Amino acid sequence: MRILLAIILGGLFGFALHFAEASNPKKITQMLRLQDLSLMKIIVFAIGFASTLLFFADLVGIFDISHLSIKGVHLGVILGGLIFGIGFGSVGSCPGTCVAASTGDGFKKALATVLGGLVGAFVFSISYGWFKDLGLFSVMDLGKLTLFSISDEFPSLFSMGFIGLLITGVLFMAIAVLLPTNPSFGNSTVTETKQTDIGDL
Amino acid sequence: MRQKWILQAMLLGAVFFLAVLIIKPIGVSTQFSVLSGIVHSTIDPNVITVDESIDSGYRSTNAYYDKSEGKLAKSIKHPINYDFVFVLAIPLGAYLAHLLRRKKTNTQNTHEEVYSEPIPELPKVKGNFWRTYAPSFLGGFIILFGARMADGCTSGHMMSGMMQGSVSGYIFAAAVFLTAIPTAIIVEKLSLRKVGK
Repeated sequence: MRILLAIILGGLFGFALHFAEASNPKKITQMLRLQDLSLMKIIVFAIGFASTLLFFADLVGIFDISHLSIKGVHLGVILGGLIFGIGFGSVGSCPGTCVAASTGDGFKKALATVLGGLVGAFVFSISYGWFKDLGLFSVMDLGKLTLFSISDEFPSLFSMGFIGLLITGVLFMAIAVLLPTNPSFGNSTVTETKQTDIGDL
Repeated sequence: MRQKWILQAMLLGAVFFLAVLIIKPIGVSTQFSVLSGIVHSTIDPNVITVDESIDSGYRSTNAYYDKSEGKLAKSIKHPINYDFVFVLAIPLGAYLAHLLRRKKTNTQNTHEEVYSEPIPELPKVKGNFWRTYAPSFLGGFIILFGARMADGCTSGHMMSGMMQGSVSGYIFAAAVFLTAIPTAIIVEKLSLRKVGK
């Protein structure tokens, strides 16, 4: 049953990524160059929407809080994020989207990214012990910290519970709506990249 | 068509919500460690060994596979589990969306919807295999190395994390955009210079 759900949910996720054009590296790099923020709007709105749904699911009592999974805060999150950003910015792909893009247009480059990713993950696996001894995962260790007290399992900053997720959720959705698709300050190089979506101009 | 992005966002958000409602939050990058670990333990069978005395039943000489009571070691030895199959199913759904989009563009011929060629910025150099694929490979290497160090990626940390109000998700997102935005701008400048524009 779990395997069947994995196929359905994984398939849905791949479908949603492709439908949102998040699996198109060009969309990601245009977003990061602040030329076309439509994908940014989608990501921010999606996070807010999911947060809001989570609040309502808890409100009506259908949400099992043991499904929550919070990752820890430590120096590795910052350093790893900075390294991740260099790769993310240069190829416009991330672990989920390069897997999604390994079918369809541009699949060869996506497969090259997946292969590179496998080697990168492997090199990290064998160097983990060394990083651990350096204290990378124990410096700034704040544990599995959450903003709001949604579960006794995790420490939290504010004791307002799921209502906090509703507030950030609505806030994120509002920011997404207000965010301009084509900010004017990024226009200098737009003409170079042959834009296909000038519908909003 | 103007509000199509909201529809795209709602579908993406709904999938993240459904995943945590039914099973657990979406995450992808760990499975890169699992797949590379499968190859690793096939070449070197001694790296992961059976140990009934701990919860997962597996121990590893590698500190990463051995972490959290051999959790990863177990996934490597038993890859047919929820997380791994979930990632394998991603391309299937994406392909379905790809076929649907192609069908739509063929029949309706709405030029603004035509799916643009991915990464057209780099000039096409005929027959130069390395020049075409080495940057993507190297990029993938950096992305997954960073993601594993941070213990999550755009899906696990940023989307799933921020959705649950996880502080690490916010920190990861801030760190990622801090380097991703300048990198994307610099890479474009460099590639334009190379074309001689």
